Amino acid sequence: MSEKEREVMEAAMEAGHILLENGAEIFRVEETINRICRHYGVESSNAFVLSNGIFVTSGGVSEEVFAKVQNIPVSGSHLDRVEAVNQLSREIAEGRYAVGEVREKLEQIRRMPGKTRKMRILGSGLGSGAFCYVYGGTLQDCMAAFLAGLLLYVFVIWVSEPHLKKMMSGIAGGAVATAACMVLHRLGIGQNLDRMVIGSIIPLVPGVAFTNAIRDIADEDYIAGTVRMIDALLVFFCIAMGVGLVYTVKQRMMF
Amino acid sequence: MIGQVTAAVIGTIGFSILYSVPKGYYPYCGFIGGAGWLIYCLLFPACSAPEATLFAAAAVVILSRFFAVRKRCPVTIFLISGIIPLVPGGGVYWTAYYIVMGEMELASETGFMALKVAVAIVLAIVFIFQLPQKLFRKQEK
Repeated sequence: MSEKEREVMEAAMEAGHILLENGAEIFRVEETINRICRHYGVESSNAFVLSNGIFVTSGGVSEEVFAKVQNIPVSGSHLDRVEAVNQLSREIAEGRYAVGEVREKLEQIRRMPGKTRKMRILGSGLGSGAFCYVYGGTLQDCMAAFLAGLLLYVFVIWVSEPHLKKMMSGIAGGAVATAACMVLHRLGIGQNLDRMVIGSIIPLVPGVAFTNAIRDIADEDYIAGTVRMIDALLVFFCIAMGVGLVYTVKQRMMF
Repeated sequence: MIGQVTAAVIGTIGFSILYSVPKGYYPYCGFIGGAGWLIYCLLFPACSAPEATLFAAAAVVILSRFFAVRKRCPVTIFLISGIIPLVPGGGVYWTAYYIVMGEMELASETGFMALKVAVAIVLAIVFIFQLPQKLFRKQEK
């Protein structure tokens, strides 16, 4: 295998890696890898993508073999990176880049700054407050849910993400949001505790995993789809656990 | 209802921030989320929650695909944030609440309803993605 072909394969794999890691569907990852390979003249490439790994091979009887496996833990959902790689793949198809440039571009995408912590906390607060209203809360409930949502993401960013496993962070997140709402309710901010809690747990909902699971299963990528669906259901379940735990404690303390 | 739809728009934008959607797409995500909730509100008293969710989710997927083609970007970006208002977050909460309170009948009722709503979302996504891409390209012109 020539140096150039190796570079093409590495670049294609890198593109797939970024896509999978940041919440793209399985077929998009496979399609992008194959499209990049074909464009640069590697016809024999073959990609197999699971929810947390990519297997790529090329070569065969007459060519030298290239094979690589990458394990990819799903880190977060930076949909802007998915969009950027998609755009890049479109530009590659138009023939705008040499292989070396592609790798540089991918490196840039990988280093794209995510949303700042402040923005994410604000986003969580907005989501909580707004959905509290959608589910029938009063304006004061929304204020409380907004505050609880802010606090929830402070917890998510500084405790859950660096230190906790997924199940634990679901339970803890649900508990923190519920407890925050109870304290606010006790302080007299907000009247309907249930609406407040519903609003403030919404930022924990695994939207990316759930939506992608459905799309993957619909695309007949059953293995990846099933894994993502279990992931989503487990998070839903854990949030409910967290909420339930706090309510149980509250009930016990009242008697 | 107008207030609720506005709240759904704001909430959906909040979620686009959490999922790092590029800034320029916030208005589209908000619009899609709001449109989904508007349809849900229009249908809900007349239809059951899963039925209303089915139609609302179908609208969300159609709009997401439409904008994805027009903006030449992955449909995921619009779909994931736009579908959030329809996800049965409330159902999850009430189920947990009733279980803790020992109201098993209500718990299984709400839990089952949440599941039905989730299935409605699944069906909407499956149905609309079966439509050929061509349909969405024509609208572009």
